[in-house]
Amino acid sequence: MCEQNAAEIRRKVDRFLARVLKPGRYLGAEWNSIHKEWESTRVHMAFAFPDVYEVGMSHLGTRILYHLVNSFPDFLCERVFAPWVDMEARLRENGVPLYALEFFRPLKTFDVLGFTLQYELSFTNVLNMLDLAGIPLRAGERKAGDPWVIAGGPCAFNPEPLAPFIDFFLLGESEEQLPQVLDLVAEQKETPRPRADFLRRVAQVQGVYVPEFYQVSYREDGRLQGIEAEPGVPRVVEKAIVNNLDQAFFPTEPIVPYLEIIHDRMMLEVMRGCSRGCRFCQAGMIYRPVRERSPQTLLGQAEKLVRSTGYEEISLTSLSSGDYSCIRPVVGDILARYGGEWVGVSLPSLRIDSFDVELAAEVQKVRKSGLTFAPEAGTQRLRNVINKGVTEENLMEAVGAAFRAGWSGIKLYFMIGLPTETQEDLDGIADLAAKVLDLGRRLGVRNVRLTVSASSFVPKSHTPFQWEPQEAQASLAQKQQYLKERLRDRRIKYNYHDVATSFLEAVFAKGDRRLADVLEHAYRAGCRFDGWTEQFRYGLWQESFRGLGLDPGFYANRTLDYDDVLPWDHLESGVSKEFLRREHWKALRETNTQDCRFAECTGCGVCPGRGVRIDLKG
Amino acid sequence: MRLRIAYSKMEAARFIAHLDLARVFERAMRRAQIPVAYSEGFNPHPKISFGSALAVGVEGQKEYVDIELRQEMDIREILGRLQEQLPSGIRLLEGSVMAPGSKALMAILNSAGYLIRVPMALPIGPERLREGVQAWLGREHVSYARYTKRGPTEKDIRPWVKRLTAGIEGEEVVLELEVEVGNSGGVRPEEVLASLRELENLPFDLDAARVRRTGIYVQYRGQNYSPLDTAKGPGSKSEAR
Repeated sequence: MCEQNAAEIRRKVDRFLARVLKPGRYLGAEWNSIHKEWESTRVHMAFAFPDVYEVGMSHLGTRILYHLVNSFPDFLCERVFAPWVDMEARLRENGVPLYALEFFRPLKTFDVLGFTLQYELSFTNVLNMLDLAGIPLRAGERKAGDPWVIAGGPCAFNPEPLAPFIDFFLLGESEEQLPQVLDLVAEQKETPRPRADFLRRVAQVQGVYVPEFYQVSYREDGRLQGIEAEPGVPRVVEKAIVNNLDQAFFPTEPIVPYLEIIHDRMMLEVMRGCSRGCRFCQAGMIYRPVRERSPQTLLGQAEKLVRSTGYEEISLTSLSSGDYSCIRPVVGDILARYGGEWVGVSLPSLRIDSFDVELAAEVQKVRKSGLTFAPEAGTQRLRNVINKGVTEENLMEAVGAAFRAGWSGIKLYFMIGLPTETQEDLDGIADLAAKVLDLGRRLGVRNVRLTVSASSFVPKSHTPFQWEPQEAQASLAQKQQYLKERLRDRRIKYNYHDVATSFLEAVFAKGDRRLADVLEHAYRAGCRFDGWTEQFRYGLWQESFRGLGLDPGFYANRTLDYDDVLPWDHLESGVSKEFLRREHWKALRETNTQDCRFAECTGCGVCPGRGVRIDLKG
Repeated sequence: MRLRIAYSKMEAARFIAHLDLARVFERAMRRAQIPVAYSEGFNPHPKISFGSALAVGVEGQKEYVDIELRQEMDIREILGRLQEQLPSGIRLLEGSVMAPGSKALMAILNSAGYLIRVPMALPIGPERLREGVQAWLGREHVSYARYTKRGPTEKDIRPWVKRLTAGIEGEEVVLELEVEVGNSGGVRPEEVLASLRELENLPFDLDAARVRRTGIYVQYRGQNYSPLDTAKGPGSKSEAR
């Protein structure tokens, strides 16, 4: 029956596929894609990325989990991405349900539909994909036989706006947790129990959060009163952690798309976590502690990757690869082995204070690219507030070394609207840009190109700045214009984001369950791909908030009290609230906190009692 | 050494865009451990080049690619190893070593043949079809509006069409089309179809048309030659798979 459906879908899609943008997004026969037998596998999972193919396929976590699940003989995993608006229109007008790429099987026939939540502004796409699949949006409306709709990723650390739509969330790293969940799904499929019984069982797995077991109450002023867990489930859900990253599963035969994707290269994950402790950074808090992979493991993986993909570039990925303790030998070995085959290396993120011009030059041996640095703030005072432990001197040294080594294109990344920001900090951004240009001129670099990107600060849950408000849209927009004026120079390219987009991101990053209705309303009104400027329809969002009587500013622009109940208080990253409070307090006093890899333990709370610790290989 | 390889690009591979195809070959060559030559300069590129672009969704029955290698290799071994690493819809047909100084594909290809199958939205007879096609061919100029980023532009597509015949097979019209390919322009098969429907009222279901390029040629004094033959040096022969 379901096979027949797949054939029908394929036949219909075949008729219009040549007339949509980038048909390769919807085909799923890429090199190394896995086509498993439906009948001989116990659990069928569709991994869903709520953005277009090129974005989703660039995401390392998606690749890891797809190949991880398929590495189990009992499990099958296929993929689905958000169809672009033209494809959505074709699917709807032809009555074709959303399908998984590998065999064109309808999503509704899978046992598990697993979304990854990388970005708050992809939430409407989650709803749209459920609807296109013919799956009821709300968990309460779904019946036995409908897929379990689950979700993980960084936004699962505050998933409250999606609570009614998702059966359960997976917090933390899924390499060990997801197979445990799928085992329970297999049992449930073979000997079905009532829904609540199954959910109570699955809630025992590390990091599994079943929102319907937690009752949220509100005060009259709109703040939260409390979050009550039902008996039999953890009062606080703690993330899952991979103890031994070196031995953890990693895909060495990843899919090679035919269509060019955003990060179209091999990825080697050199380490996980970052303890630099930037106070705005959610990833730096929720992926602790730092765990490195050994050079032997990485070189073994590199060999398999080069042979199985034929890619021309290896990216050494992590939150801050320049900090990986064995970076020099690993880059050197990879280039020595594969440089002759025109395989290059790239490092996505280089820190200013650990910038190593020889390393950067080494990396550029095969292919050249620009260099990006992130001072984040324009003055030392504000860099101390955010705990970005770099100085102007560091920046000038790094840029100078880069200029002398032959680079002429430099990118600088900043944030505006950070807590305590003043006019001086704003001017600091423009002054730094001018100093970089000046340095280039003094070093005799011809046609210096400087890109300055300034994004608006978005406070995120589970960070020291979670209590901070986002600055008002009008004032952020004014600052953007001010910088635009001050950065007027033909050698400078200035980038910034639409403030309404950042505002909505803040609303959902710090939102609670009441936003679910707004989300559904906006989705039904036509909001999709909200992170894509040309698709973003702020007017519809404003109408939705008004129609449901909720003030978005309450979420984005309000300063929270330390004793406020936060919508994510029952969800734990391992970093204690006490530590976050202490860091917030230190921020306001412009005091730095050291990295525990190089100084003493900061007491963030992640290591004790979880069987994990900092794991450095160098 | 330089090679010219003929291949077909059918089924799902017809959706691999022309711009992506060089990467597909580059990566397949690396997996096959065949050493492609790279250009010099700031951003080295593999020396892989194609003839005239095939539109996304159009099948190619016999297409060509030129590849330069860093070392000499046996052509049969190259074809065998490369085939194993290519997506299932791409099949290598034959290849030959190019004589020194052979011109690039882009510079020599000037003619292409297409086979088009299009369902009828309303049934018509062979007579009506033949009349329509004859009337269309009888026109000296056929204006066609193409929509570009700068808005619609009118162009005359008739001069590019060298031959057009049509017949009926069951519910479908089958057309054979031969067109001139040039640097200064050209005509796409679906433009000819749309024009036949518009000007001669032939009831084609355009959305369901399936197009295959049957071949692409070097035409000289009315004769079609294969680009493989033109690249061969004296005494060399091509290897079929």
